[in-house]
Amino acid sequence: MRSKMLRNFVVRLVSLSLLSLGIVQGSGAAMIGTQQVIQSEARDASISRVEAILARRDVAKQLVIFGVDPLAVQSRVGNMTDAELLTLEGSLDKHVAGGDAVAIVGAVFIVLIILELVGITDIFKAT
Amino acid sequence: MKRFDVSPLTGLAKRAAQALALFVFWTLAGCGTIPAAVSHYGPAPGRLELVDTPFYSQEQFQCGPAALTTLLTASGVETTLDEVTAQVYLPARQGSLQTEILAATRAAERVPYVLAPGLSSITSELAAGRPVLVLQNLGVSWAPRWHYAVVVGTDADRKQIVLRSGTDARRITRTSVFLRTWQRSGFWAVTTLKPGELPADPDRARYAEAVAGLEQTGHYQAARDAWLAGLSHWPNDTVIRFGLANTEYALGHFTAAERLYLDMLSEDSGLLTARNNLAMTLIAMGQSDDALEQIDIALALAEGSPLLEELLDTQKTILSTSQGAPN
Repeated sequence: MRSKMLRNFVVRLVSLSLLSLGIVQGSGAAMIGTQQVIQSEARDASISRVEAILARRDVAKQLVIFGVDPLAVQSRVGNMTDAELLTLEGSLDKHVAGGDAVAIVGAVFIVLIILELVGITDIFKAT
Repeated sequence: MKRFDVSPLTGLAKRAAQALALFVFWTLAGCGTIPAAVSHYGPAPGRLELVDTPFYSQEQFQCGPAALTTLLTASGVETTLDEVTAQVYLPARQGSLQTEILAATRAAERVPYVLAPGLSSITSELAAGRPVLVLQNLGVSWAPRWHYAVVVGTDADRKQIVLRSGTDARRITRTSVFLRTWQRSGFWAVTTLKPGELPADPDRARYAEAVAGLEQTGHYQAARDAWLAGLSHWPNDTVIRFGLANTEYALGHFTAAERLYLDMLSEDSGLLTARNNLAMTLIAMGQSDDALEQIDIALALAEGSPLLEELLDTQKTILSTSQGAPN
């Protein structure tokens, strides 16, 4: 119980320090990025630095929860754009993950065989 | 061996049954018709195959890493299946996200160019020597089987697609089946460009988006080379010139950046973004008086502009810098 509270405290402290780090960086640099110009061209809402930092933190946390080695997480989120991070924020479980996994049961199986025979699907031949 | 003669009636019955099955399951399958524009093979040669494309056989659920390793090594990146797996495999989802395929391509200093939907986009890239990674749903919407594969060949006469897929080094799929499975991912397809290479069918918005992503994630050298290639194709494009100037700045090539911003401003003095970044460049060069002059010009034009806040930020930065080092 105590250790859980302590852990929560440390997590909050680290989060807060990460956040403030981002804000300090943000106000220092006032270069306008190319992505920002493209977004305004496409009339997409521009993403603030704070939003991007929060999204990055959330996606990093989710990646760990989904089994990614914590050491690999920084480089994985580091190569995502702000827009991509915002899309994935809070929804890592909802996006398509290509990996051939499929759950087939009973009647569904028979329907799938027929779909396969008439050339609508291509589910059984691979791998 | 001589075959049995199938009576015309049986043949007809078989065809009717097939048609019926198709009709019944069409709704279940959630199949729309495929637009002709998408199924067109395009101007590329009727039959082409990149036979030298390497093949990496997939482990269970790891078609994403295998397909991406194929794509990256074909683009000259030295990497291994294990390295790529560590970047794109998501264990608890037993698969890989599209975003991570793009991100890992950036990590390898390549431009992840997402193709316009349509078979002709793929054949054009193949004709230029680049294989194309695709996302397919081999199942149906209510029993999906999401799968990444790499298209290495097309054959318009036989109506076939050749793929590096799963554990098949050379899998041949009927074009109609391929199109249906590909359609379910919204025709998602990506190719890797070496920085400096242009796509076979260059689309300005798609290209700028791809390169800006490289820039935003800190791959400045690669982004610079890619912007330069873009400039050769769209010499007057504002976004691409702006992108090149920004990467020159990020690489510390301030004189080059200054010249590019000035060029843009000489054609359109109201470009506040360029004026802001010019001011930032001048600060970096230690010319805070000139920087202040530029930002004042911008601020005079900025009333009601969404950039006002950023311009004021820049002004603040300049003032604090010049106070620190008066000249």
